[in-house]
Amino acid sequence: MRLDDAARPPKARRVWLGLASVVALVAAYTLLSNAYRVVDPSLLPDPLRGLLRPQILPPTQRIVDAFVQLVGAGAPLAGGADLHPGDHIGGLVEQRVTLQGSLLVSTYRVLIGLAVGGSLGILAGLLMGWSRAVDEYVHPIYILFRSVPPLALITYVMLWLGHGTAHLLIPIIYAVFATVVIPTYHGVRDVADVYVKAARALGAGGRLLLSRVMLPAASPFVLAGLRYALVIAWMTTVGVEMLMGDDGVGYLLIGGGLWSSRLEVAGDPAVIVVGIVGLALVGYAMDVGVRVAGDRLTQWVKR
Amino acid sequence: MNGLWRRRLWRALLSLGVLAVLYGIASQIGSALLPRRIWMVAHYIEDVELLPPYASLLEEAVFLVKSGILPRSILVSTARVLEGLALGAAVGVPLGLSMARVARLEWLLDPWVTFFRFTPALALLPLYALWFGLGELSKILLIATAVAVVTLLGAYQGVRDVPRVYLEAAKSLGASDGLILRKIVWPAALPQILSSVRIALGLAWVTVVVAELIKATMPSLGYLLALAGAYPRVSTIAVGIVTIGVLVLACDAAALGLYAMATRWMKRSPADA
Repeated sequence: MRLDDAARPPKARRVWLGLASVVALVAAYTLLSNAYRVVDPSLLPDPLRGLLRPQILPPTQRIVDAFVQLVGAGAPLAGGADLHPGDHIGGLVEQRVTLQGSLLVSTYRVLIGLAVGGSLGILAGLLMGWSRAVDEYVHPIYILFRSVPPLALITYVMLWLGHGTAHLLIPIIYAVFATVVIPTYHGVRDVADVYVKAARALGAGGRLLLSRVMLPAASPFVLAGLRYALVIAWMTTVGVEMLMGDDGVGYLLIGGGLWSSRLEVAGDPAVIVVGIVGLALVGYAMDVGVRVAGDRLTQWVKR
Repeated sequence: MNGLWRRRLWRALLSLGVLAVLYGIASQIGSALLPRRIWMVAHYIEDVELLPPYASLLEEAVFLVKSGILPRSILVSTARVLEGLALGAAVGVPLGLSMARVARLEWLLDPWVTFFRFTPALALLPLYALWFGLGELSKILLIATAVAVVTLLGAYQGVRDVPRVYLEAAKSLGASDGLILRKIVWPAALPQILSSVRIALGLAWVTVVVAELIKATMPSLGYLLALAGAYPRVSTIAVGIVTIGVLVLACDAAALGLYAMATRWMKRSPADA
């Protein structure tokens, strides 16, 4: 049963419970991942024998170690473990790959994708929502292109643009574009339409109509589209970097190699976990940013 | 109304036709002007058709179909997508429904849902490959993870958007919790759940293509692309991309059809989704 807001315990308990669940799970994981010190994994039954190894389930302190290593680019280890240039983390440290540096490169790619793809997408959505003729001619082509997963394009784009860094951006831009068009389109066509008709009846036209009526009315939808596009952009960025990047978080996660040989480098789960947590934090921060900026832009929507 | 639809269809066909003709012209001009030698990684590759003309596309498509590579790849990749979708939705939807109705559960799971929501599913790929091997299991679980997050949020939002009046009315008339769930919450949340499934389906295709590009065994669409990209054979890449596009389009149409069928009673146009 959905609780009444009055019946809900105060917010403090909510935070407390969330915190408790995080702490509990981390503690449980720490115990589980350190179990190999107590029992010999080779004595355990099959699925456990495979899983309870530090190479598969890295102990929490090793994840912290990896974090320190990746942030400090080769700071001496507290745990005393050796670094091998051949393994995942050793290779990264040797190449001076840091977590914050990788996140920065990826964030930069995401932002370029959002800026270029977002403005193209909003423009296309505006045109399609504005004019029925444009909609009828362009929509089928849009559906055709939207159906192709952006990352499927990468092999083809690379042939045109070569093995630089530009070809990594194309799928990201493309993905953001395809995501933003539809919300903008619906915002303009379905919601703004009423206001546009009213404004027309009152004699507004041209630029006034666009800047004072249509854009504000569609903006909540555009912002919702941008928030979703942010998730898609991160997904695509990580994907292209894993496939072909020489830097960025995707590269950090995989640690080198090319193409199908990439996963044959034995990955270090501690590095991967550090990378994933970094991604989640940055993704969350960017989402909050878009949301806060959006709330300020669309204050008038609050009824 | 009929005339309107006919004009829509006519215009759609016209613009798609113009696009097709333009590509034909571009590929003809391109075959003379575009470089056929391409620098890749460490060496030149000869005889690349950057814009393959229709003739070589057709030839390639016929070859891929006749040799059985394309049909088998389609089957394998589609099966992965559908299995991942089923598994992910089977976890995500019940979890989303119960999180929306049991506040304590919501608070407990909230940090984890937020974490997974902002973790690009593809970033989990190396971890899953390590845990579950490079085979079938890791790919399906990866798709399932992506799907579960999206459907969970859809189901949650769907339940939270149920007008409280409905629930209070049912409660005051003495309906049991089970009855309310079956007769009010579920039907009212269904449109949102189904539109989240539609989004998840698109995401599942993105995920499967990359999972297969990175590490795959032969018949699969991602591997076809990877292999074609390594040679590189542009006509194979093009056929692969078009095939994936058609499959995504078909899945999307199926999801939209399901949505329309399940919400017919609401008198709502599917375009609202």
